[in-house]
Amino acid sequence: MQTNRKFRLVDTIYLVMMVLPIVAGIVLNVLTKPVSEGVSITGARIFFTIPMPLQDLPVTEAQINSALVMITLLFFCLYLTHGLTEKCERKRQHLAELIVEKVDALVTENMGDYFIGFAPFIIAVIALSAFSSLLSLCGLFPPTSDINVVGGWAVLVFGLITYYKLKCGPLNYLKGFTEPVAVLTPINIVSELATPVSMAFRHYGNVLSGSVISVLLATALSGLSSLLLSWLPGFLADIPLFQIGIPAVLSIYFDIFSGCLQAFIFAMLTMVYVGGGFDLDLYKQRKARKAQKIKTNSMEE
Amino acid sequence: MQSLDIISVNLWQMLVSLINLLLLFLIVKKFLYNPVKKMLKSRQDAIQSDYDDAEAAKAQAEADRQAYEEKLSSAKAEADSIIRSAVGIAGQREKEILQEANAKADGIVRQAEAEAVLERKKAEDAVRKEIVEVSSLLTEKVLEREVTAEDHRQFIDSFIESIGDDDDGN
Repeated sequence: MQTNRKFRLVDTIYLVMMVLPIVAGIVLNVLTKPVSEGVSITGARIFFTIPMPLQDLPVTEAQINSALVMITLLFFCLYLTHGLTEKCERKRQHLAELIVEKVDALVTENMGDYFIGFAPFIIAVIALSAFSSLLSLCGLFPPTSDINVVGGWAVLVFGLITYYKLKCGPLNYLKGFTEPVAVLTPINIVSELATPVSMAFRHYGNVLSGSVISVLLATALSGLSSLLLSWLPGFLADIPLFQIGIPAVLSIYFDIFSGCLQAFIFAMLTMVYVGGGFDLDLYKQRKARKAQKIKTNSMEE
Repeated sequence: MQSLDIISVNLWQMLVSLINLLLLFLIVKKFLYNPVKKMLKSRQDAIQSDYDDAEAAKAQAEADRQAYEEKLSSAKAEADSIIRSAVGIAGQREKEILQEANAKADGIVRQAEAEAVLERKKAEDAVRKEIVEVSSLLTEKVLEREVTAEDHRQFIDSFIESIGDDDDGN
């Protein structure tokens, strides 16, 4: 294993670049966050607005933070794969192999071998979603509690679902709406369109509700402690008795557990919907028919 | 500073986040997934080649073993044949020696017999002479006269002949 100076330098750069975006985000947050009194539950703050056709594009905390997460993840990937060897000499390589092999197994199990190319996409979904949610641990606005961010992902997934359904033949796709009976067609269309909406709202709602409950509980706890201790003289009245420890326990559930769980659920739903909408046998039949057609055409010529 | 509402759908923001996810997909694919897969593949190949080498070495060892065994058994057979031929030669030699010895012994016995016959003849001659002398002496005494040697000889000879005939007749 060569760990010369150059290798260490590159390692250090990667590690610094992993942490730097988060630090920058925190600094930006501290500098721009307005001092607010009392409870306020709002969406992402808007830094500036770019005029665009149809609708203006506001550049918000959510956009900035997801960009920061992406930079962090980019350097995390680079760090993990820096100095890969066949003999697995570095600890980080175990993690890299673990991630790749577990997600490969997950994709194969849920979607079949045909969709093995989806593995990096699933890694990206899980990583982006989980790390975005976990940003709330640093006191930053988690991008996943913005409907637009999660909505974009859901639209992409919907596009993938539709693409793979169309791959089995457009007629089959259209016929699928009239099943089991033609009367149910409108309901089928609604349920098809409901897929991305439900995915987006599930994820976004869980993360947002977590922050909302955290804020409400923090306020309630501070009220409770001031209620109990207000009769004490001087600074003793200001002791945040119930704010010690209890919010941390809540944070473990709402920030860490819920964030990771939602990321996993989003990825699982992606796999199930995309894999479920695609019929490999039908696709192969169609491909064979097409090949046959081309063959007969060329023979006629 | 302005904030968005809790729920505020913005198409451009959605597009940006969609592109973000695609971008991250490409990043993960290029910088994490593909290198790790490539490494795993090369490791697989290395392990496979190790296994192949081991297999080949094992086959080689097996072939060597068989060759040695063959050699060993052929050596055994050779040794057997050598011993057999040696035993055969030795048997032949033994026979020859025995024959030689027998022949020699026969020769010795024959010589001894011949010598014995010769001795006997000599002894017979000697006895005959003695008898002739004794009988001539006796007859001289009996007849008191000189018998001519010629007569005498004839007489004795006929006498001994008759004795010899009697002896032979027995």
